[in-house]
Amino acid sequence: MVQNRAVVAESVLFKEPLLQLRSVTKRFGSITAVRKVDLEIRRGEFWTIFGPNGAGKSTLLRVVAGLTGPSEGSVSWPGSTMDRSRIGYVSHQSLLYGDLTGLENLLFFARLYALTEPRRRVDELLQQMDLVNASDRPVREYSSGMRQRLSLARALLHDPDLLLLDEPYAGLDQHGGRLLTEILNGLRDEKRTVLLITHSLEGLDLASHLLVLNRGEVLLLRPRGDLTRGEFEKLYFELVGS
Amino acid sequence: MRYWRLIFVLARKDLRLEYRSPQSLLTTLFFAVLILVVFNFAFDPGDPAVRTAAPGILWVSMLFPGVIQLNRSFQSEREEGTLLGLILSPVDRGILFFGKCAANWVLLLLVDFLVLICFFLFYNVGISSTEIGLLFLLLLLVGGVFSAVGTLFAAMVSTLRARDVLLPVLLFPILVPEVVAAVNATRELLGGNSLQYFWHWVKLLAVADVVFLAAAFLLFDFVLEE
Repeated sequence: MVQNRAVVAESVLFKEPLLQLRSVTKRFGSITAVRKVDLEIRRGEFWTIFGPNGAGKSTLLRVVAGLTGPSEGSVSWPGSTMDRSRIGYVSHQSLLYGDLTGLENLLFFARLYALTEPRRRVDELLQQMDLVNASDRPVREYSSGMRQRLSLARALLHDPDLLLLDEPYAGLDQHGGRLLTEILNGLRDEKRTVLLITHSLEGLDLASHLLVLNRGEVLLLRPRGDLTRGEFEKLYFELVGS
Repeated sequence: MRYWRLIFVLARKDLRLEYRSPQSLLTTLFFAVLILVVFNFAFDPGDPAVRTAAPGILWVSMLFPGVIQLNRSFQSEREEGTLLGLILSPVDRGILFFGKCAANWVLLLLVDFLVLICFFLFYNVGISSTEIGLLFLLLLLVGGVFSAVGTLFAAMVSTLRARDVLLPVLLFPILVPEVVAAVNATRELLGGNSLQYFWHWVKLLAVADVVFLAAAFLLFDFVLEE
Protein backbone atom coordinates (compact mmCIF):
# COMPACT_ATOMS: atom_id res chain seq x y z
CA MET A 1 0.00 0.00 0.00
CA VAL A 2 2.76 2.37 1.02
CA GLN A 3 4.70 1.37 -2.05
CA ASN A 4 1.64 2.08 -4.25
CA ARG A 5 1.28 5.51 -2.71
CA ALA A 6 4.92 6.22 -3.42
CA VAL A 7 4.48 5.19 -7.06
CA VAL A 8 1.37 7.37 -7.38
CA ALA A 9 3.14 10.29 -5.70
CA GLU A 10 6.12 9.90 -8.01
CA SER A 11 4.01 9.67 -11.12
CA VAL A 12 2.05 12.78 -10.07
CA LEU A 13 5.32 14.54 -9.34
CA PHE A 14 6.66 13.80 -12.80
CA LYS A 15 3.37 14.36 -14.65
CA GLU A 16 2.39 17.70 -13.21
CA PRO A 17 4.27 20.45 -15.01
CA LEU A 18 6.91 22.20 -12.98
CA LEU A 19 6.59 25.23 -15.20
CA GLN A 20 3.88 26.31 -17.59
CA LEU A 21 4.10 28.99 -20.26
CA ARG A 22 0.80 30.02 -21.75
CA SER A 23 0.87 32.04 -24.95
CA VAL A 24 3.87 34.03 -23.78
CA THR A 25 4.69 37.04 -25.93
CA LYS A 26 7.44 39.52 -25.23
CA ARG A 27 7.75 42.80 -27.09
CA PHE A 28 10.39 45.49 -26.96
CA GLY A 29 8.74 48.50 -28.52
CA SER A 30 7.68 47.49 -32.03
CA ILE A 31 9.86 44.36 -32.01
CA THR A 32 8.30 41.07 -30.95
CA ALA A 33 11.10 38.95 -29.50
CA VAL A 34 8.92 36.02 -28.41
CA ARG A 35 5.56 35.22 -29.97
CA LYS A 36 2.81 33.13 -28.33
CA VAL A 37 5.00 30.42 -26.83
CA ASP A 38 3.21 27.56 -25.08
CA LEU A 39 5.43 25.23 -23.10
CA GLU A 40 5.11 22.76 -20.25
CA ILE A 41 8.21 21.57 -18.49
CA ARG A 42 8.03 18.58 -16.16
CA ARG A 43 10.46 17.56 -13.47
CA GLY A 44 13.45 15.66 -14.77
CA GLU A 45 13.12 16.88 -18.35
CA PHE A 46 16.12 18.28 -20.19
CA TRP A 47 15.01 20.79 -22.77
CA THR A 48 17.39 22.12 -25.38
CA ILE A 49 16.40 25.25 -27.27
CA PHE A 50 17.94 25.80 -30.68
CA GLY A 51 17.58 28.73 -33.00
CA PRO A 52 19.60 31.27 -34.95
CA ASN A 53 20.88 34.48 -33.39
CA GLY A 54 18.05 36.85 -32.58
CA ALA A 55 15.47 34.05 -32.48
CA GLY A 56 14.31 35.08 -29.00
CA LYS A 57 15.93 32.25 -27.06
CA SER A 58 17.62 34.37 -24.41
CA THR A 59 14.55 36.55 -24.04
CA LEU A 60 12.46 33.44 -23.43
CA LEU A 61 14.91 32.33 -20.77
CA ARG A 62 14.83 35.75 -19.11
CA VAL A 63 11.03 35.60 -19.03
CA VAL A 64 11.18 32.15 -17.43
CA ALA A 65 13.74 33.42 -14.90
CA GLY A 66 11.43 36.29 -13.98
CA LEU A 67 14.04 38.85 -15.05
CA THR A 68 11.48 40.44 -17.30
CA GLY A 69 7.73 40.00 -17.42
CA PRO A 70 5.85 38.77 -20.51
CA SER A 71 4.01 41.43 -22.53
CA GLU A 72 1.16 38.92 -22.95
CA GLY A 73 0.46 35.43 -21.64
CA SER A 74 1.61 33.92 -18.38
CA VAL A 75 4.40 31.98 -16.74
CA SER A 76 3.22 29.84 -13.86
CA TRP A 77 4.55 27.24 -11.47
CA PRO A 78 1.56 24.92 -10.96
CA GLY A 79 1.02 23.97 -7.36
CA SER A 80 3.53 26.49 -6.06
CA THR A 81 4.68 30.05 -6.34
CA MET A 82 7.54 31.59 -8.26
CA ASP A 83 10.50 32.17 -6.03
CA ARG A 84 13.91 33.23 -7.28
CA SER A 85 15.56 30.54 -5.19
CA ARG A 86 13.88 27.89 -7.38
CA ILE A 87 15.96 28.91 -10.36
CA GLY A 88 19.62 28.49 -11.16
CA TYR A 89 20.84 30.64 -14.02
CA VAL A 90 24.00 30.37 -16.07
CA SER A 91 24.57 32.97 -18.72
CA HIS A 92 27.40 33.36 -21.24
CA GLN A 93 28.71 35.95 -18.77
CA SER A 94 30.05 34.21 -15.69
CA LEU A 95 28.23 36.44 -13.14
CA LEU A 96 31.32 36.02 -10.94
CA TYR A 97 33.64 38.56 -9.34
CA GLY A 98 37.05 38.47 -11.02
CA ASP A 99 38.90 39.81 -7.99
CA LEU A 100 37.45 37.22 -5.62
CA THR A 101 38.71 33.65 -5.55
CA GLY A 102 36.51 30.82 -6.72
CA LEU A 103 35.90 29.81 -3.13
CA GLU A 104 35.02 33.37 -2.05
CA ASN A 105 32.63 33.75 -4.96
CA LEU A 106 30.76 30.58 -4.10
CA LEU A 107 30.71 31.33 -0.38
CA PHE A 108 29.35 34.80 -1.09
CA PHE A 109 26.46 33.46 -3.15
CA ALA A 110 25.90 30.59 -0.72
CA ARG A 111 25.36 33.19 2.03
CA LEU A 112 22.96 35.16 -0.16
CA TYR A 113 20.96 31.96 -0.60
CA ALA A 114 21.12 31.46 3.18
CA LEU A 115 22.42 27.90 2.92
CA THR A 116 22.66 26.21 6.30
CA GLU A 117 26.09 24.71 5.66
CA PRO A 118 27.63 26.93 2.99
CA ARG A 119 31.17 25.63 3.29
CA ARG A 120 30.15 21.98 2.96
CA ARG A 121 28.01 22.66 -0.11
CA VAL A 122 30.72 24.82 -1.72
CA ASP A 123 33.38 22.13 -1.18
CA GLU A 124 31.03 19.53 -2.66
CA LEU A 125 30.47 21.60 -5.80
CA LEU A 126 34.14 22.52 -6.20
CA GLN A 127 34.84 18.79 -6.11
CA GLN A 128 32.07 18.04 -8.61
CA MET A 129 33.33 20.75 -11.01
CA ASP A 130 36.96 19.67 -10.58
CA LEU A 131 37.97 23.10 -9.30
CA VAL A 132 39.34 22.25 -5.85
CA ASN A 133 42.95 23.04 -6.82
CA ALA A 134 41.98 26.41 -8.30
CA SER A 135 39.61 27.45 -5.54
CA ASP A 136 42.10 29.86 -3.93
CA ARG A 137 42.95 31.65 -7.15
CA PRO A 138 41.19 34.85 -8.26
CA VAL A 139 38.56 34.10 -10.88
CA ARG A 140 40.15 36.56 -13.34
CA GLU A 141 43.01 34.03 -13.65
CA TYR A 142 40.62 31.21 -14.62
CA SER A 143 40.28 29.93 -18.17
CA SER A 144 36.87 30.28 -19.88
CA GLY A 145 36.10 26.64 -19.16
CA MET A 146 36.95 27.00 -15.47
CA ARG A 147 34.82 30.13 -15.23
CA GLN A 148 31.91 28.36 -16.85
CA ARG A 149 32.19 25.41 -14.46
CA LEU A 150 32.39 27.76 -11.50
CA SER A 151 29.39 29.61 -12.87
CA LEU A 152 27.52 26.30 -13.04
CA ALA A 153 28.55 25.58 -9.45
CA ARG A 154 27.15 28.99 -8.45
CA ALA A 155 23.87 28.18 -10.18
CA LEU A 156 23.65 24.79 -8.45
CA LEU A 157 24.54 26.03 -4.95
CA HIS A 158 20.97 26.18 -3.73
CA ASP A 159 19.88 23.01 -5.50
CA PRO A 160 17.35 24.77 -7.76
CA ASP A 161 14.25 23.13 -9.20
CA LEU A 162 15.00 24.49 -12.64
CA LEU A 163 18.40 25.18 -14.16
CA LEU A 164 18.51 27.72 -16.98
CA LEU A 165 21.62 27.64 -19.15
CA ASP A 166 22.08 30.40 -21.69
CA GLU A 167 24.72 29.35 -24.22
CA PRO A 168 27.12 27.86 -21.70
CA TYR A 169 29.32 26.55 -24.54
CA ALA A 170 30.04 30.08 -25.81
CA GLY A 171 33.77 30.82 -25.75
CA LEU A 172 34.82 27.34 -24.65
CA ASP A 173 37.53 25.39 -26.41
CA GLN A 174 37.02 21.70 -27.24
CA HIS A 175 38.44 20.53 -23.94
CA GLY A 176 36.29 22.97 -21.97
CA GLY A 177 33.26 22.00 -24.05
CA ARG A 178 33.84 18.30 -23.40
CA LEU A 179 34.18 18.85 -19.67
CA LEU A 180 30.99 20.89 -19.64
CA THR A 181 29.16 18.17 -21.56
CA GLU A 182 30.30 15.61 -18.98
CA ILE A 183 28.95 17.77 -16.18
CA LEU A 184 25.66 18.38 -18.01
CA ASN A 185 25.39 14.64 -18.65
CA GLY A 186 25.73 14.16 -14.91
CA LEU A 187 22.96 16.68 -14.28
CA ARG A 188 20.71 14.89 -16.77
CA ASP A 189 21.41 11.57 -15.08
CA GLU A 190 20.52 13.16 -11.72
CA LYS A 191 17.13 13.95 -13.30
CA ARG A 192 17.57 17.67 -12.90
CA THR A 193 15.17 19.87 -14.83
CA VAL A 194 17.18 21.88 -17.31
CA LEU A 195 16.44 24.44 -20.00
CA LEU A 196 19.52 24.80 -22.20
CA ILE A 197 20.08 27.28 -24.99
CA THR A 198 22.89 26.37 -27.32
CA HIS A 199 24.10 26.40 -30.90
CA SER A 200 26.18 23.32 -30.19
CA LEU A 201 24.95 19.89 -31.25
CA GLU A 202 26.20 18.59 -27.90
CA GLY A 203 22.92 20.03 -26.65
CA LEU A 204 21.01 17.60 -28.86
CA ASP A 205 22.64 14.56 -27.28
CA LEU A 206 21.81 15.87 -23.82
CA ALA A 207 18.20 16.72 -24.59
CA SER A 208 15.12 14.77 -23.64
CA HIS A 209 13.01 17.43 -25.40
CA LEU A 210 13.73 19.85 -28.21
CA LEU A 211 12.48 23.29 -29.04
CA VAL A 212 13.42 25.28 -32.11
CA LEU A 213 12.71 29.00 -32.16
CA ASN A 214 12.99 31.41 -35.04
CA ARG A 215 11.93 35.06 -35.00
CA GLY A 216 10.26 34.47 -31.68
CA GLU A 217 8.04 31.64 -32.94
CA VAL A 218 8.17 28.00 -31.97
CA LEU A 219 8.92 25.94 -35.08
CA LEU A 220 9.51 22.61 -33.38
CA LEU A 221 8.57 21.29 -29.97
CA ARG A 222 8.89 17.57 -29.34
CA PRO A 223 10.58 14.87 -27.30
CA ARG A 224 13.95 14.10 -28.78
CA GLY A 225 13.19 10.40 -29.16
CA ASP A 226 15.79 8.74 -31.33
CA LEU A 227 16.49 11.72 -33.54
CA THR A 228 20.11 11.58 -34.70
CA ARG A 229 22.40 14.57 -35.19
CA GLY A 230 22.15 14.23 -38.98
CA GLU A 231 18.37 14.03 -38.96
CA PHE A 232 18.11 16.98 -36.59
CA GLU A 233 20.46 19.13 -38.68
CA LYS A 234 18.41 18.40 -41.79
CA LEU A 235 15.17 19.17 -39.98
CA TYR A 236 16.61 22.32 -38.40
CA PHE A 237 17.73 23.83 -41.69
CA GLU A 238 14.41 22.92 -43.30
CA LEU A 239 12.61 24.80 -40.54
CA VAL A 240 14.90 27.77 -40.10
CA GLY A 241 16.23 28.05 -43.63
CA SER A 242 19.93 27.83 -44.45
CA MET B 1 18.85 39.58 12.23
CA ARG B 2 19.08 37.81 8.88
CA TYR B 3 18.73 41.14 7.08
CA TRP B 4 21.64 42.63 8.98
CA ARG B 5 23.76 39.61 8.17
CA LEU B 6 22.93 39.89 4.48
CA ILE B 7 23.75 43.61 4.45
CA PHE B 8 27.05 42.75 6.11
CA VAL B 9 27.79 39.99 3.57
CA LEU B 10 27.04 42.33 0.64
CA ALA B 11 29.02 45.26 2.03
CA ARG B 12 31.96 43.07 2.96
CA LYS B 13 32.09 41.73 -0.58
CA ASP B 14 32.30 45.29 -2.00
CA LEU B 15 34.93 46.33 0.54
CA ARG B 16 36.98 43.23 -0.20
CA LEU B 17 36.82 43.95 -3.93
CA GLU B 18 37.91 47.55 -3.30
CA TYR B 19 40.76 46.34 -1.11
CA ARG B 20 41.96 43.93 -3.82
CA SER B 21 41.67 46.49 -6.60
CA PRO B 22 41.55 49.99 -5.09
CA GLN B 23 41.58 52.04 -8.32
CA SER B 24 38.41 54.00 -7.60
CA LEU B 25 39.36 54.64 -3.96
CA LEU B 26 42.79 55.94 -4.93
CA THR B 27 41.40 58.05 -7.77
CA THR B 28 38.80 59.57 -5.45
CA LEU B 29 41.43 60.34 -2.84
CA PHE B 30 43.81 61.80 -5.42
CA PHE B 31 41.09 64.09 -6.80
CA ALA B 32 40.11 65.22 -3.28
CA VAL B 33 43.67 66.06 -2.27
CA LEU B 34 44.18 67.86 -5.58
CA ILE B 35 41.23 70.15 -4.81
CA LEU B 36 42.71 70.93 -1.41
CA VAL B 37 46.09 71.69 -2.96
CA VAL B 38 44.59 73.99 -5.59
CA PHE B 39 42.60 75.95 -3.00
CA ASN B 40 45.67 76.08 -0.80
CA PHE B 41 47.43 78.12 -3.48
CA ALA B 42 44.53 80.56 -3.57
CA PHE B 43 44.75 81.44 0.13
CA ASP B 44 47.55 82.53 2.35
CA PRO B 45 47.50 80.05 5.30
CA GLY B 46 47.57 82.92 7.79
CA ASP B 47 44.77 84.84 6.08
CA PRO B 48 41.55 85.04 8.18
CA ALA B 49 39.65 84.45 4.95
CA VAL B 50 40.78 80.83 5.20
CA ARG B 51 38.51 80.30 8.16
CA THR B 52 35.56 81.72 6.24
CA ALA B 53 36.21 79.68 3.12
CA ALA B 54 37.42 76.52 4.85
CA PRO B 55 34.04 74.82 5.35
CA GLY B 56 33.19 75.20 1.66
CA ILE B 57 36.62 73.97 0.57
CA LEU B 58 36.37 71.01 2.90
CA TRP B 59 32.98 69.81 1.67
CA VAL B 60 33.73 70.39 -2.00
CA SER B 61 36.88 68.31 -1.66
CA MET B 62 35.03 65.56 0.18
CA LEU B 63 31.84 65.31 -1.88
CA PHE B 64 32.76 66.06 -5.50
CA PRO B 65 35.36 63.29 -5.80
CA GLY B 66 32.94 60.89 -4.08
CA VAL B 67 31.03 60.70 -7.36
CA ILE B 68 33.91 58.68 -8.86
CA GLN B 69 33.48 56.09 -6.12
CA LEU B 70 29.71 55.93 -6.60
CA ASN B 71 29.95 55.57 -10.37
CA ARG B 72 32.36 52.68 -10.13
CA SER B 73 30.29 50.82 -7.57
CA PHE B 74 27.65 49.83 -10.14
CA GLN B 75 29.67 50.11 -13.30
CA SER B 76 31.87 47.16 -12.32
CA GLU B 77 28.79 45.09 -11.39
CA ARG B 78 27.29 45.79 -14.82
CA GLU B 79 30.53 45.15 -16.71
CA GLU B 80 31.11 41.76 -15.14
CA GLY B 81 27.42 40.89 -15.22
CA THR B 82 27.50 40.28 -11.49
CA LEU B 83 24.52 42.54 -10.91
CA LEU B 84 22.42 39.88 -12.63
CA GLY B 85 23.77 37.34 -10.14
CA LEU B 86 22.63 39.59 -7.29
CA ILE B 87 19.22 40.22 -8.86
CA LEU B 88 18.69 36.49 -9.38
CA SER B 89 19.43 35.72 -5.74
CA PRO B 90 16.45 35.53 -3.37
CA VAL B 91 17.69 38.56 -1.45
CA ASP B 92 15.22 41.43 -1.22
CA ARG B 93 16.32 44.27 -3.50
CA GLY B 94 16.08 46.70 -0.62
CA ILE B 95 18.73 44.63 1.14
CA LEU B 96 20.89 44.77 -1.99
CA PHE B 97 20.53 48.55 -1.79
CA PHE B 98 21.53 48.72 1.87
CA GLY B 99 24.53 46.46 1.25
CA LYS B 100 25.76 48.65 -1.59
CA CYS B 101 24.97 51.84 0.29
CA ALA B 102 26.80 50.64 3.41
CA ALA B 103 29.94 49.82 1.40
CA ASN B 104 29.82 53.22 -0.32
CA TRP B 105 29.31 54.89 3.03
CA VAL B 106 32.33 53.17 4.58
CA LEU B 107 34.55 53.94 1.57
CA LEU B 108 33.41 57.56 1.56
CA LEU B 109 34.14 57.89 5.28
CA LEU B 110 37.58 56.44 4.71
CA VAL B 111 38.33 58.98 1.97
CA ASP B 112 36.84 61.80 4.04
CA PHE B 113 38.96 60.86 7.03
CA LEU B 114 42.14 61.06 4.92
CA VAL B 115 40.96 64.31 3.31
CA LEU B 116 40.33 65.76 6.76
CA ILE B 117 43.89 65.00 7.83
CA CYS B 118 45.21 66.70 4.67
CA PHE B 119 42.87 69.64 5.25
CA PHE B 120 44.22 70.33 8.74
CA LEU B 121 47.78 69.94 7.48
CA PHE B 122 47.34 72.29 4.53
CA TYR B 123 45.16 74.98 6.10
CA ASN B 124 46.47 75.08 9.64
CA VAL B 125 42.97 75.31 11.15
CA GLY B 126 42.99 74.97 14.93
CA ILE B 127 40.30 72.67 16.33
CA SER B 128 39.71 70.96 19.69
CA SER B 129 39.23 67.22 20.16
CA THR B 130 35.52 67.75 20.94
CA GLU B 131 35.13 69.68 17.70
CA ILE B 132 36.89 66.90 15.81
CA GLY B 133 34.34 64.47 17.26
CA LEU B 134 31.49 66.70 16.12
CA LEU B 135 33.05 67.02 12.68
CA PHE B 136 33.05 63.23 12.47
CA LEU B 137 29.38 63.25 13.34
CA LEU B 138 28.83 65.59 10.38
CA LEU B 139 30.87 63.30 8.12
CA LEU B 140 28.75 60.38 9.18
CA LEU B 141 25.45 62.16 8.52
CA VAL B 142 26.42 63.76 5.21
CA GLY B 143 28.02 60.49 4.12
CA GLY B 144 24.71 58.74 4.81
CA VAL B 145 22.68 61.06 2.60
CA PHE B 146 25.36 61.11 -0.08
CA SER B 147 25.62 57.31 -0.16
CA ALA B 148 21.86 56.75 -0.11
CA VAL B 149 21.02 59.12 -2.97
CA GLY B 150 24.27 58.35 -4.76
CA THR B 151 23.77 54.58 -4.67
CA LEU B 152 20.25 54.94 -6.05
CA PHE B 153 21.30 57.27 -8.86
CA ALA B 154 24.46 55.27 -9.64
CA ALA B 155 22.25 52.21 -10.17
CA MET B 156 19.91 54.28 -12.36
CA VAL B 157 22.58 55.63 -14.69
CA SER B 158 24.82 52.56 -14.74
CA THR B 159 23.33 51.31 -18.02
CA LEU B 160 23.70 54.65 -19.79
CA ARG B 161 26.66 55.70 -21.86
CA ALA B 162 26.72 59.20 -20.38
CA ARG B 163 26.66 57.90 -16.79
CA ASP B 164 29.87 59.70 -15.75
CA VAL B 165 28.33 63.04 -16.67
CA LEU B 166 24.79 62.27 -15.57
CA LEU B 167 25.49 61.14 -12.03
CA PRO B 168 26.82 64.46 -10.68
CA VAL B 169 24.18 66.37 -12.66
CA LEU B 170 21.42 64.35 -10.98
CA LEU B 171 23.03 64.00 -7.59
CA PHE B 172 24.19 67.47 -6.59
CA PRO B 173 20.93 69.40 -7.10
CA ILE B 174 19.25 66.94 -4.72
CA LEU B 175 22.09 67.32 -2.24
CA VAL B 176 22.23 71.13 -2.22
CA PRO B 177 20.23 71.52 1.04
CA GLU B 178 22.40 68.91 2.77
CA VAL B 179 25.63 70.47 1.53
CA VAL B 180 24.42 73.91 2.70
CA ALA B 181 23.60 72.40 6.10
CA ALA B 182 27.01 70.70 6.27
CA VAL B 183 28.88 73.88 5.32
CA ASN B 184 26.96 75.99 7.84
CA ALA B 185 27.41 73.46 10.62
CA THR B 186 31.14 73.27 9.89
CA ARG B 187 31.35 77.08 9.91
CA GLU B 188 29.73 77.17 13.37
CA LEU B 189 32.20 74.56 14.53
CA LEU B 190 35.37 76.07 13.09
CA GLY B 191 34.29 79.60 13.97
CA GLY B 192 34.29 78.73 17.65
CA ASN B 193 30.66 79.91 17.96
CA SER B 194 28.09 78.54 20.36
CA LEU B 195 26.97 75.09 19.24
CA GLN B 196 23.28 75.99 19.32
CA TYR B 197 23.08 76.54 15.53
CA PHE B 198 25.37 73.63 14.87
CA TRP B 199 22.83 71.27 16.43
CA HIS B 200 20.04 72.77 14.30
CA TRP B 201 21.96 71.84 11.17
CA VAL B 202 22.78 68.41 12.58
CA LYS B 203 19.09 67.74 13.21
CA LEU B 204 18.29 68.73 9.64
CA LEU B 205 20.94 66.36 8.35
CA ALA B 206 19.69 63.54 10.58
CA VAL B 207 16.17 63.96 9.20
CA ALA B 208 17.57 64.05 5.65
CA ASP B 209 19.40 60.77 6.37
CA VAL B 210 16.23 59.01 7.46
CA VAL B 211 14.13 60.41 4.58
CA PHE B 212 16.65 59.70 1.84
CA LEU B 213 17.58 56.25 3.11
CA ALA B 214 13.91 55.29 3.27
CA ALA B 215 13.10 56.78 -0.14
CA ALA B 216 16.11 55.17 -1.84
CA PHE B 217 15.27 51.81 -0.22
CA LEU B 218 11.72 51.97 -1.57
CA LEU B 219 12.71 53.13 -5.05
CA PHE B 220 15.62 50.76 -5.60
CA ASP B 221 13.33 47.91 -6.66
CA PHE B 222 12.03 49.99 -9.59
CA VAL B 223 15.53 51.02 -10.59
CA LEU B 224 16.65 47.42 -10.93
CA GLU B 225 13.62 46.32 -12.92
CA GLU B 226 14.19 45.23 -16.51
